[in-house]
Amino acid sequence: MTAFENKKAENIFLPREAVILNIKETSQLEKHFTLRNADASKMIFEPGQFLEVSLFGYGEIPIGLASSPTRENSFDIVIRTVGRVSTAINQLKEGDSLYIRGPYGNGFKLEQLRSYPILVVAGGVGVCPTRSLIQYIMDRREEFKSFTLFYGTRDPSQQLFLEDLKQWRCSDKVEYYETVDKADEHWEGPVGLITELFKKTSIAAETRVIICGPPIMFKFVIYELDKIGIAHNHIFVDLERRMKCAIGKCGHCQINNKYACLDGPVFALSDISNLEEAF
Amino acid sequence: MNTYFIKESDFNNFIDNMLLQLPVIAPVLSSESVESFFSFEFLKNHDELRLDYDITILPPKKAFFPPRQVIIEFSHGKFHGTVNAKKQVLLGVHPYDIKAIDQTDFLFTENYEDINYTAYRNATTLVCSNIQTISKRAFWGSISHDVPARGHDAFLTKLTDLNEAEEEGYLFEVFNEKGHELLSFGQFLLATELQIQQAKSINESIKDKCPQQLNYSQDEMANTICRSFNNTALWDELAQDCFSCGSCNTTCPTCYCFNVEDSWNIDQQSGQRTRYWDSCMTEDFAKISSADGQSENFRKTTAARMRHRIMRKMVYLNDKLGTQACVGCGRCSIACTADIADPVNIIKRIMEEAANDSL
Repeated sequence: MTAFENKKAENIFLPREAVILNIKETSQLEKHFTLRNADASKMIFEPGQFLEVSLFGYGEIPIGLASSPTRENSFDIVIRTVGRVSTAINQLKEGDSLYIRGPYGNGFKLEQLRSYPILVVAGGVGVCPTRSLIQYIMDRREEFKSFTLFYGTRDPSQQLFLEDLKQWRCSDKVEYYETVDKADEHWEGPVGLITELFKKTSIAAETRVIICGPPIMFKFVIYELDKIGIAHNHIFVDLERRMKCAIGKCGHCQINNKYACLDGPVFALSDISNLEEAF
Repeated sequence: MNTYFIKESDFNNFIDNMLLQLPVIAPVLSSESVESFFSFEFLKNHDELRLDYDITILPPKKAFFPPRQVIIEFSHGKFHGTVNAKKQVLLGVHPYDIKAIDQTDFLFTENYEDINYTAYRNATTLVCSNIQTISKRAFWGSISHDVPARGHDAFLTKLTDLNEAEEEGYLFEVFNEKGHELLSFGQFLLATELQIQQAKSINESIKDKCPQQLNYSQDEMANTICRSFNNTALWDELAQDCFSCGSCNTTCPTCYCFNVEDSWNIDQQSGQRTRYWDSCMTEDFAKISSADGQSENFRKTTAARMRHRIMRKMVYLNDKLGTQACVGCGRCSIACTADIADPVNIIKRIMEEAANDSL
């Protein structure tokens, strides 16, 4: 008998079923899904971790969890219509099923954030994975010091989680600032790049900062943080890569010698700032 | 475990008896024009077996990590994994390829075990064989040469340069139960001390006969290559003629990157999720798509991709593997249309540039 015949290792590529409880059309491009494991089991994860989400016949894509594990009965993901898989998923209806693997990766290191002032800088769809942390902090506000949130989008139509935004604007749990690169006729808020928001408030040097957004945004935000004097091991970046297998094998998400799927997708800036392929 | 001897005259019977019981994957002649090309294929009879091959076009990893592998089948909303490994023999693998298999064994098992690899690997009896003919681009004599070949179940050495009184044949070393099982297929005798010494000297003396040599230590190479990371002009020069075809990856025994895609059957109700070999030298490998046709490519240029390939082979995995992820087979050198993939030339160029800089 060979070693294999004795062993019943799990096939890591087999997904499990998740049922769509609710779908919100958050903008023209994105849909916000609330899901539950089909076997009704609780999804155990850390804010910042991601899932491999698939639809048979179309394929599988990595998607950051967009809700906090403190919301126990369901979990959220947001899918932007980009390619074959996301287009197919965004045609599903409530009650339909998706297939998921995970959670995978290293999330936001909560133990390094607790009892410090927090700044989250979210650009565009970068608000989706950071929402898992935003919700977590809102739910357990007493564990953290001040909480500031910057959210920037290209234009007002790109804003996601409109209900959350309404709540964040008037909540005393978060100091919320938003901006758009370009206004439309209805927009009454600030216009300008996300870095403009640094002028609106003062960020303490001991603040722990989380950044998630398009690659171009990182260096400008880091430039602002350097001016404040925030140490690079206190800055955490959530990177997007083509995490095809999520288990550190397929090679697509490699950043120099690191794997976004295993070592990230959340990295301390000090761990990757010397990696040329990071930004 | 013991060491055995099988006479040349009994060898064909051994192969044929084995073929009656088990599928055997072994080197055969693939095509012959000006040169001979060999490949690992399912053996039909002893006549096809070419243990005198120099190198095969593709490495033997395909026996458990095939170029295309269905990993999930789905039908009408149901799905299942497809792992169904049956006992097989992979015979005639040269020591450098054994070292490469040892690496992929580790890489498919670390962190998360992938049974789509390990099930087939574990069901395979791996028989190493001595190198009878040296490929013209081989450099295994001077890279990963201090790492022992391991993970094989038996080792076959053809005894040559014998005295007239000595019987022609093969020494057959058996390392474990899987190797031992093969003894039942042939007329094996216990090897004599002389035969064991002959085999040892055959396998030792071949190590200095590679046509290409790298005269640097592993650390020297790793450190210098690592330090050359930001020498953009050098990487531009090395990648100048690259077509981004990925042949260097496809033929590499230590490459294990893959992509996964779904496809439908003609009924549009069922289909499969298939993984296939992918290449970090191709343009789209590190590309992600965003909305409205935009994309971000984290290794846009051929130079960035060439650098990544060399870093992966010579630097990034060294700590994990205890050796470079290059075993010196020279397949990439042969496969590259532009003849720019040869690690020997690349490493020599990087070392030479670093030496000039430090003058």
